[in-house]
Amino acid sequence: MNLIRLIREASAEVDLKRTYDAIVVGSGAAGGMAAHVLTLHGMKVLMLEAGKKLDIDKELKSTEWPYEHKRRGEMPPDSHALSLNEYNIRQPPYATDSKSAHVYSYVQGWGGSDYSKNIVVDERDHPYTGTNYAWVRARCLGGKTNIWGRLALRLSDLDFKAKSHDGYGENWPISYKDIAPYYDKVDLYLGISGVKENLPHLPDSIFQRPIKLAHAELKLRQSLKKMNRVLTPYRAGVTTDGLKHNKYRSRCFGRGACNRRAGGCDIHAAFDSPTGLILPAMDTGNLTLRTNSIAREVIVDKKTGKASGVAFIDSETGKSYEAKARVVVIAASTLESARLMLLSKSNAHPTGIGNSSGHVGHNFCEHLMGSHITGLVKDLVGKPHTLDDGKPGSFYLARFRNLSGRHPNFIRGYGFEGSSGSSMYPGNATSTPGFGSSYKTKVRDYAGAFISMGAFGEVLARYENHVDLDPVVKDKWGVPVLRFHYKFGDNEKKMAEDMTYTAQEMFTEAGFEIVDLSRRVLTEGWSIHELGTARMGTDPRTSVLNQFQQSHDVKNLFVVDGSSHVSASCQNPTWTIMALAWRSCDYLADQFKKGNL
Amino acid sequence: MAEDNKQIDSIVVDGHDELTRREMIKLGGSAAIAVTLVGVDSAAQASQDKSPLFFTKHEFALVDELTELIIPADDHSPGARAALVAGYIDFRLSESFEENPRTLWRDGLKLIEQLSQEMHGKSFLESSEEQRIALLTRIAQNEMRPVKPEEMFFRELKSRTARAYYTSKIGIHTEMEYKGNTYLKEFAGYDAT
Repeated sequence: MNLIRLIREASAEVDLKRTYDAIVVGSGAAGGMAAHVLTLHGMKVLMLEAGKKLDIDKELKSTEWPYEHKRRGEMPPDSHALSLNEYNIRQPPYATDSKSAHVYSYVQGWGGSDYSKNIVVDERDHPYTGTNYAWVRARCLGGKTNIWGRLALRLSDLDFKAKSHDGYGENWPISYKDIAPYYDKVDLYLGISGVKENLPHLPDSIFQRPIKLAHAELKLRQSLKKMNRVLTPYRAGVTTDGLKHNKYRSRCFGRGACNRRAGGCDIHAAFDSPTGLILPAMDTGNLTLRTNSIAREVIVDKKTGKASGVAFIDSETGKSYEAKARVVVIAASTLESARLMLLSKSNAHPTGIGNSSGHVGHNFCEHLMGSHITGLVKDLVGKPHTLDDGKPGSFYLARFRNLSGRHPNFIRGYGFEGSSGSSMYPGNATSTPGFGSSYKTKVRDYAGAFISMGAFGEVLARYENHVDLDPVVKDKWGVPVLRFHYKFGDNEKKMAEDMTYTAQEMFTEAGFEIVDLSRRVLTEGWSIHELGTARMGTDPRTSVLNQFQQSHDVKNLFVVDGSSHVSASCQNPTWTIMALAWRSCDYLADQFKKGNL
Repeated sequence: MAEDNKQIDSIVVDGHDELTRREMIKLGGSAAIAVTLVGVDSAAQASQDKSPLFFTKHEFALVDELTELIIPADDHSPGARAALVAGYIDFRLSESFEENPRTLWRDGLKLIEQLSQEMHGKSFLESSEEQRIALLTRIAQNEMRPVKPEEMFFRELKSRTARAYYTSKIGIHTEMEYKGNTYLKEFAGYDAT
């Protein structure tokens, strides 16, 4: 399937003279969902995507073997991926002193990165300043959904009403019952794989065929049962049974391609926004797409103070344009959406559109990545290698801290993601000492005998953690860049200590020999789960949006991505982003029909 | 697209099942890649056949022998030499953006020769297998915390050797007997019970 050809066939020309019903800024999980829902309601939508249209199928070449690639999947020598040390030792902007022609975020340091270098941004063109932050961005049609990690989890009332539970922060203006029907819709429309566990704090989805567990994972699951903790097969935003209503996607064939390189699925079994949402939206005839269109400002009607359209720059020509709309929907990703709101200054909105509260850019939160542990599963040593990586993910270990009890040192919780067994490249080849046939045999005998996992924990939303516009530095197109004022705090550090403690405790209990334990907390931003910069709430003085992600200040402005989240929870946010966007866009369409916008 | 792939009549999945025609069409060209093990490592082969791109002929012979000592042929599978490891290392060094690794290799190989003279009174390639292994054993003794220049070089030599070998056709299929990167009808493994 040639995505580009399909999109070209389906796409209408942009008409800058007409007034669209809605402009959607961004084409990732949130933007794609907004386009899908609004066009389904019959609204005429213009989608602006800052990046290019990529023929993802040609980029990813998912099943190409390393030896079929000139550099075994690595990038050309003049391309550089930032390392963990570089992020911490230096200050942003990170590409400034590099001699390399192209500088990319850390994800391009993974094996097989040559296949994703056109998906992520070149840091040279996209600087930012301030505190250390590993910001991963994908400016292309579909954004980060082209290479996302696919873990699709629900939030529960323990997250939505976290303040009621421990007194910290703010409750969300919605509860689980408000969003549950929309989680269901997302499950059914996009496909999700998993096993029902009946956990109140990690609600089940409507699952398609689950992924299976490898030997060591089953062993750990059974051992954890005794501790009242749950390891469940990876809940992947992947269709394992296929989707009859979507001709652009295939069911998963367990090629494991999504676990090599920086992710991505060229048969679109894993959800991505272009095939999951945008192409079906185009088929309604109601969607117009313009790529290479960098939103510069939300334009405001001087008389009413309402949004009247979006000014954008063509990334190829540098020319500026304006598109008109009755409703503006921002879905540019948590940090870019905040940037766009702050850039949209006018007499009506002197500190940025929708920012009368002063909260835009603030309460910035995400997930902390702490302890990473590797264990040796002795009964697998020397056994014939099995097929362990033919699946879109391995396992998820659900949160168990602060569910009903109170940990003395920290609030909130964390979960673990992990994997085990044989993979294409034996990770123990460099960590096994020695040389000669004994070395070679040891690498082979042990390669499939390891299990590892890493923790993702909730970073508390704090007002002082924020982004604003840098007064001096501009990007390649002359647009002011973001400046970060963001640091992990005491609760995160205490939580990280506990992650290490429990990781050891669980591996020891399961009978694994711990061969590696990293206590190092990864740089801010590492999880790629940034949230909270335009949070929802009932009070317009302390929040930016209402429960339908509608601006308190500007009723025809909606911000439907992760920036609306009140707290980070410890679950991966993509499924929640899409469920909320669907709910808000149903409301938007209804209000639009009633003439209230 | 599917019409370009008429030569694939059926794809064997999981040993005995076949993909349906509809699935085949959906999968388009990508299906072809997974089932035919084509792909010659052209860059490494070119180095191996002709003159090396970065190393001198003598250096290349030295690297070829060193990599084979690290990952030798045995009754399970061929080793680094058959997997054209030296050729791949040569190609990557020849196009390296930084001068640093090239210097490290050039100086490292000189050190090997110096040590060989010091330990056995002859060049590395002229010494016996036992003597070569004795030399490697000496420079490998602090592998996880290398201090001396020859120890640093061993680490670099080994990591590039492993990288090149385990990404080669021989390394992936013959040595490791890797089972994945194929079309499955059912996920492998155990149900969560």
